[in-house]
Amino acid sequence: MTTTAAPETGIATPAASAAPPPRRRRSALRRRNALIGWSFILPNFLGFGFLTLVPVLILFYMAFTNWNVFGKADWVGIANFQRLLGDGSFHTAFWNTLYYSALHIPLTIAVSLGLALLLNQKLRGVAFFRTAAFFPYITSIVAIAVVWNLLFSPDYGPINEVLRAIGIENPPGWLTSQEWAMPAVVIVSTWRDMGYYMILLLAGLQTVPRELYEAARVDGANAWQRFVNVTLPCLRPTMFFVTVMLTINSFKVFDLILVMTDGGPGQATLVLSQFIYRKGFEESQFGYASSAAVVLFLLCIVVTIIQFFWNKRRSV
Amino acid sequence: MSNLTEAMVTIERPGGLRKLGSSAPRPRRAAGASKLRPAGRILMYVLLAIAAIGLLAPFFWMVMSSLKTANEVFSVPIVWIPETFVWQNYVDIWTESNMLTWIRNTLFLAVSVTFLQVLTGSFAAYGFARMRFPGRDVLFLVYVGTIAVPWQSYMIPQFILLSDLKVSNTFWSIILLQAFGAFGVFLMKQYYETIPEELSEAARLDGLSEYGIWRRIMLPLSIPAIASLSLLTFVNTWNDYLGPLIYLRDPDLWTIQLGLKSFVSNLYDTNYALLFAGLTISVIPIAIIFLLGQKYFVEGIATSGMKG
Amino acid sequence: MKRKLAVVVGLAVVASLSLAACSSGDSATTEPSGPVTLSLSGWSLDTTPEFQVLADAFHEQNDDVTIELKEYDPAEYNTLVTADLAAGSGPDIITQKEVKYVTTFQEGGQLLDVSDIELPEGIGGASSYEVDGVQYGVPYRQDSWVLFYNKALFDQAGVAYPDGTWTWDDYDAAAADLTAGLGGAKGSYMHRWQSVVQGFANAQTGADILDGDYGYLEDYYDRVLSLQDSGAQVDFNTSSANSLTYQGEFGKQNAAMLPMGTWFTATLISQQASGEADDFEWGMAPIPQLDSSTTGTDETPVTFGDPTGFSINANIDDEKVAAAKEFLTFAASEEAAQLLAGIGITPALTNDAVVETYFAVDGAPTDELSAFAWSTHDTFPENPTSNKTAAVQGILGDLHTAVMSGSVDVKTAIAEAEDRVANEVGTD
Repeated sequence: MTTTAAPETGIATPAASAAPPPRRRRSALRRRNALIGWSFILPNFLGFGFLTLVPVLILFYMAFTNWNVFGKADWVGIANFQRLLGDGSFHTAFWNTLYYSALHIPLTIAVSLGLALLLNQKLRGVAFFRTAAFFPYITSIVAIAVVWNLLFSPDYGPINEVLRAIGIENPPGWLTSQEWAMPAVVIVSTWRDMGYYMILLLAGLQTVPRELYEAARVDGANAWQRFVNVTLPCLRPTMFFVTVMLTINSFKVFDLILVMTDGGPGQATLVLSQFIYRKGFEESQFGYASSAAVVLFLLCIVVTIIQFFWNKRRSV
Repeated sequence: MSNLTEAMVTIERPGGLRKLGSSAPRPRRAAGASKLRPAGRILMYVLLAIAAIGLLAPFFWMVMSSLKTANEVFSVPIVWIPETFVWQNYVDIWTESNMLTWIRNTLFLAVSVTFLQVLTGSFAAYGFARMRFPGRDVLFLVYVGTIAVPWQSYMIPQFILLSDLKVSNTFWSIILLQAFGAFGVFLMKQYYETIPEELSEAARLDGLSEYGIWRRIMLPLSIPAIASLSLLTFVNTWNDYLGPLIYLRDPDLWTIQLGLKSFVSNLYDTNYALLFAGLTISVIPIAIIFLLGQKYFVEGIATSGMKG
Repeated sequence: MKRKLAVVVGLAVVASLSLAACSSGDSATTEPSGPVTLSLSGWSLDTTPEFQVLADAFHEQNDDVTIELKEYDPAEYNTLVTADLAAGSGPDIITQKEVKYVTTFQEGGQLLDVSDIELPEGIGGASSYEVDGVQYGVPYRQDSWVLFYNKALFDQAGVAYPDGTWTWDDYDAAAADLTAGLGGAKGSYMHRWQSVVQGFANAQTGADILDGDYGYLEDYYDRVLSLQDSGAQVDFNTSSANSLTYQGEFGKQNAAMLPMGTWFTATLISQQASGEADDFEWGMAPIPQLDSSTTGTDETPVTFGDPTGFSINANIDDEKVAAAKEFLTFAASEEAAQLLAGIGITPALTNDAVVETYFAVDGAPTDELSAFAWSTHDTFPENPTSNKTAAVQGILGDLHTAVMSGSVDVKTAIAEAEDRVANEVGTD
């Protein structure tokens, strides 16, 4: 029972606690630090830089060409981007992606955080429930699509049976209606992803020092206050990671929608990744598809940078 | 400060480190649970049970469908339990396909990828989390940025690159592809930032190098993060379909997902009963690994070292 | 030491090459010099035996040429072949699984001009591989759409079999009678693909999907919608919610009629043999027509379908070109057609002898109307050969799901599709 460091100082920036070195040695030290820093990153960077970064940079270049995948790639300037501006399908896909994300991100954070808090306790059989929560993520996506399609079935589906039973006269058509297809997809993807993010949050919850809870309890804080004042601040780095990953993954959502609705009915659930795939692999306009990928990238990166700074400000 | 140094001394004791990861924490009732009355407890279990049914229903349907005949799988209305169980599906998929080879290949890939991802990822994460040098934040943003690019859009340039290196159609392609992703770096970096800097500072004063701090302090303290990274990487590699599809053309190299899909599509039309039988088998290893791995998510494991 | 070895190996190779050349040199001058191995892309080799059959028969006639099959995943075939061609590791002979992608490969400079190959008279589908008057491939297989029907269910419901004179009105009436008479099974099953409605509409009204004008689809959709509203066939939403398969619906006798491509024959025969499908008597009839001008066995019914064909990789080694062209010539020949018909495949070239072979297969229907339906039809391509086809089909696919799910009415959906084609694709 020695340290009860407040979480704020616990997560304090590295330099804060280091004694300032004498001025003339500072640049040498800095160089040494940079060297050590790079030596840590290098093993990963060798693989990452060559196998991921280089292809991504090629893709960025291709966004400004009429690349057809078989070698031909003439520079066309910003023509692809201009075309995106006037492309109705792209607009639909863009807004659908934002709509999906706006529903999916908060819902998933709430559910997976709740699940993680619940399953962080010492219950009998907690291992079973944790495994159950993770099962949607490892169940074959084909089986998921089939079963949820059945559950959502407008006429005989169990979901609408329940809704009718509780007095809703006209339950939604879910996957068969243009208005409700996206909410239905969001429900399924949240259901599928929550176990995944629960794992990440569970790991984060292990960093909350028990002493802080005890101190808070001594101060008379109730469960909600303990959650707000102890759990959340300690969880911030993990939450940052989870929100960034969740945001990016929502913007990139692809395979679940592909097997559940394939973008339909009509274009009600067409999202950006699918637009990119269709333009590239089905219509062989890889240059044009690349430019849509760049837009998706920019969208993600802008939101990530906002989250980055917001996180920095909050943690100072 | 002195208290912390004391804590450090405890940690540095030989054997002490290992104990951090493996020893079970003192049995203690968790903060929230201690107040629950029996009635509340029962209610909670009922809720959890309902939730578990909702979570497992599709999986249950898949297992049941693996015991149907091919044309019975899809029907109106939905059939949960088949009239007669067709165990033959399991015999067929096991004897007529190369399940064993596929499982061996997938296991090899998943273990190699997970090992490399955790090793290089956590190593790089230390550089990002604890070292200061110019360009660090930009480089980190580049890492995160690549996550934001959909793989389908740079799949072909990457394939051409790896083909030129003559590694396509070998296990190397998948290992190289998956092992150096930005995901692990990001995850580990965020976790390292929750570990009090004072611990490494004290170790530094005791003469430990940065590599020593990573090895002797950060690694043991980040067991829960390593566990979740390992689990997620393992599962993702195990279930990956598109990567192996593009790169592993030789049937001897096929992974379980690829092999299963190819096996059933080689029948006259996709036999979902057989596919689901194979998928059920393929889930078992993951379920076991998860059951083993989840025990590292135990409250207080990371901080127990601080208590001397 | 190493160099010496290389020289020895090199000499050995040269020697074997010249020996092989001698042994075959006298048979014919068109024969390629030396043994050649050609790679050919295929899919699902176990259940798609056509590749092996053609390869073996060709090798028997030309023992210098070996055809090596390269297996691809059937669902991702186009993606994988594209990746391989882009990386320079594509097959020597490219099987064109879908006509939609022919122009992609052609515009990408991946296909060799094969205009000098002489095709037999009466072969179907050759125009699908023609771009600007140049032939970039030859068809060997041409499935077209017919009406499969379950004779047992027709008997049970007391409805007369199709006789080749049906228009869509007759089909609708029969579907209603069957549904009423069967009490359980439906009169017909229509699979969820857009082509099941649009393919017939395009072919029978003589429409060109690249025109950007889709008013002609309205009647076809109205008809199908009223069929599913009346309960004569499973509705689209139920079909997709339950992931119904057409093999299951027809094979398990849940529906008495099924408009489908002729590839289903081979599947049905094998499923009946294995017990996956019920054992019942069935037949093929010409697909119902728009009006009576094309009905009856004296006329030629209008339907649709796309061929499957072979092209040659433009980057093939020069010394292999002759052998590859020889193979393409063989694949389009009557001899190959006979071989294909013998394994239940609909060849691009049909004549009376081929029909006989096809229907001699154990389990195939034996009535004359089936033979007529299989062999006599005016088949329009489902996908015109153009670089706009894929994009237009994508838009029409969206129209299909919007209309069939009941979320948008036909007129609105057609207007939307016309707008999108004009804005996103453009018409010539």
